[in-house]
Amino acid sequence: MVLTTLIFAIFCIITLLIYFVVPKKIQWIILFVSSFIFLFYNNLTIGTICQAVTILLTTYFSSILIEKSNHKKRYLLLGIGIILGLLIYLKYTNLFLVSFNHILGMLHSSFRFSFVKRNSLIGVSYYSLIMISYLIDIYRGAIKPQKNIFKLGLFMSYFPILTSGPFIRYKDIESDLYGRHKFNYERMRSGLIRILWGLFKILVISERLGYFIDTVWGNLEVYSGAFSIIAILFFPLQLYTNFSGSIDIIMGISEIIGINLPENFNTPFFSKTVTELWRRWHITLGAWLKDYIFYPLQKSDFMQKIGKICKNKFGKKIGKKIPLYLSMLLMWILIGAWHGGLYTFIIGSGILQFIFIFLEDTLQPISKKINKKLGIKEDVFSYKLYQIVRTYLLFSFAMIFFRAGSVSNAISMITNVFKFKFSVLSDGVIYMAGLDRSNFKVLIISLFILFVVQLLKRSGSVREKLFNQNIVFRWAIIYILIFSIIIFGCYGPGYDSTTFIYRQF
Amino acid sequence: MKNFIKTGIFLIIFLIMFHYLFSILWLSRTPISSFYDEPDDSLDVVYVGASNAYAHFNAPLAYNLYGFTTGFMSTDSVPFTLIKYLIKEAKKYQNPKLYVVDIATLIYDYDGIEEGAIRKSIDSMKFSLNRIDAINDVLKATNTKKEECINYYFSFLKYHNKWNEIDYSSYQNPVYLYKGYFFSSYTIAVEKQKEYIWNDDVVKLPKKNYNDLIKLIEYIKDEDTQVLFVIPKRFFNENDVKMLNYATNIIEESGLQLINFNKLNDLDIDFSHDFYNYAHLNIFGATKYTLYFSKYLNDNYDLIDHRGDKKYNSWNDEYERFKKSFYNYFKYDFDELLSK
Repeated sequence: MVLTTLIFAIFCIITLLIYFVVPKKIQWIILFVSSFIFLFYNNLTIGTICQAVTILLTTYFSSILIEKSNHKKRYLLLGIGIILGLLIYLKYTNLFLVSFNHILGMLHSSFRFSFVKRNSLIGVSYYSLIMISYLIDIYRGAIKPQKNIFKLGLFMSYFPILTSGPFIRYKDIESDLYGRHKFNYERMRSGLIRILWGLFKILVISERLGYFIDTVWGNLEVYSGAFSIIAILFFPLQLYTNFSGSIDIIMGISEIIGINLPENFNTPFFSKTVTELWRRWHITLGAWLKDYIFYPLQKSDFMQKIGKICKNKFGKKIGKKIPLYLSMLLMWILIGAWHGGLYTFIIGSGILQFIFIFLEDTLQPISKKINKKLGIKEDVFSYKLYQIVRTYLLFSFAMIFFRAGSVSNAISMITNVFKFKFSVLSDGVIYMAGLDRSNFKVLIISLFILFVVQLLKRSGSVREKLFNQNIVFRWAIIYILIFSIIIFGCYGPGYDSTTFIYRQF
Repeated sequence: MKNFIKTGIFLIIFLIMFHYLFSILWLSRTPISSFYDEPDDSLDVVYVGASNAYAHFNAPLAYNLYGFTTGFMSTDSVPFTLIKYLIKEAKKYQNPKLYVVDIATLIYDYDGIEEGAIRKSIDSMKFSLNRIDAINDVLKATNTKKEECINYYFSFLKYHNKWNEIDYSSYQNPVYLYKGYFFSSYTIAVEKQKEYIWNDDVVKLPKKNYNDLIKLIEYIKDEDTQVLFVIPKRFFNENDVKMLNYATNIIEESGLQLINFNKLNDLDIDFSHDFYNYAHLNIFGATKYTLYFSKYLNDNYDLIDHRGDKKYNSWNDEYERFKKSFYNYFKYDFDELLSK
């Protein structure tokens, strides 16, 4: 069930109607039932049932044993091992097979493993990590285990977040998820506006960008130069509008219900460094990895030992940094791997991001010194703009690998950039790559609206600003938003691209 | 309470704007649009079927000759299963003396029916339960995927992307010309139908088509509807003819009337002069057909002559418009053609 389809809208309306009509003490059961319908919609097989039940039972019994037993660590590792093992089996088998085949090639063997197709449930990456953090939190004593297995099932499968997140923590969501909620008009109005904004981002901007990007990426031997540059620069915008649009829909639905979810984006393309960008992009994944991977790894005995050895060899300053960078590298590889079972994801959203952050950190003092010597002011608009553009370009470069599907495709795309012809920009040929002139106009206007909204967001909630306006202006804006989606949205039989980029992870 | 009233007003304004917008976006009006344009209970005959109906029968000419009014519940290649729903739809607005049902599409293979043929019929119908039933039936007959059905229920899902085709003319409300009759001045010579083909040989209809015919006959009988089935004058291949002979037998055995215009010698249709393609009559063929068929209808059914009634002035206007168009094409008066 895709978030932007009528069938999902009908599903949500029915769920919400029942949710607010039934006695409040059983509201959570409605969410649980809806979530399981959503989870198994179009994918109800014995295999998928086993996947969900295995993770739920593992988490349930592990959590109780962790709390009660004296061998807490043993049960924690057992629980994590089963969940992680299943996740790796479902998502990363092919990544390992590629590696084995590569090794076999190096050994001049003609034998190759053939790839396998796994039928995994929607959101398996999300709920596996959510359940792991739940077990760790119990182990740390931060939360008490949920004794009702169905309530735990709801935490695992709360339907809006299954497609694209955000990552939730049990202690943050427990009271809202199982709590009793009265229908609230203001909440509904605010939630609906957020859903509309999400639909605008996905259907009007992201899908439209997708036509151009997919045409160029799908025909690397045909399109080069300006086409390649525009496709590369468009892709982060496509990814952002697609992913943050999904989050807007998810947050909007949850807001109507009365469940507060953590924000996942904070105007990331206004970031002046890649480090800052990742603090504003998929915030909940970053926070999850820091809390459950990075900090424990950095404080681990192994890293402490490495730190000591490095301090002795390279001095205190460098010695202190090496375990930090090693932990960071591992975390970024995991971020890349989490995005999918392909090396290009590990390069694009992992290793390259680490390299940029590493360089920013190590070169910052040198850069400051150079700027000081050359008299370059750092607190002026032009310098900040340069930093924002630089960050966007670096991010776009890394995303080439993320989008490419294979390293050779990525290299082809990069080499295509240098086959530049200016005439393409003036003779109308640019309109032959999936987007005609009128669609390009719609895209540019939509991107301008996105930019204005992002600017307004920096000084507070845009929705509150809207609700403070007079009714005529307020309704006019809402009607424009609705009709923009209905008319200019890329949906229906004329369009077939309704897959969510982040849904596959 | 105040909030609910505000929400209600918001939704009403939205629906009005939505309706207006899609009346602009969905511009491809079909002869069914001309049916809806007619005042309620003003039609004496409703002609149901595919393009043969409105390409062959010149309704303003029939009005000019005998004073009865004919509306078309017809679009291109209407899948036969929809005929029943088109009659149901017509009954909501009109109370005609007679339904003329063209059965040419009864022989069409459902697997070969294109989306366009379904859409032209379905999307021309006003939103109603009957339309939903029609969609369900035709999509089932054509084995359309379940997930695609929603695009037929809500046609804006298909047509919203026509926004870049809108221009000034989109804001005008086009009148469907000649009360739905399709005027073709073009002529091609069509291979003459071999005489021996129209013998009495039969071949069974495919099961789906047979069931549709039976269901239609049952519906007509249950509703006590006066229906005249027709097989239009046009080229059919030998197998089509045999299937139509089979259908003719079923219809006649059930006590209903059918005219096969291919078996009428006095119609005098000339395959080298009277067609604009192998299946459709041009203006010359349509004039011969209308002269013959309108007389038949006038002689055999108790149809009212509305000529002279001011309420029916639009029929005179359309006939005059048609004559003017004829003159513009051929540089002689249509009355000259009639007098030949």
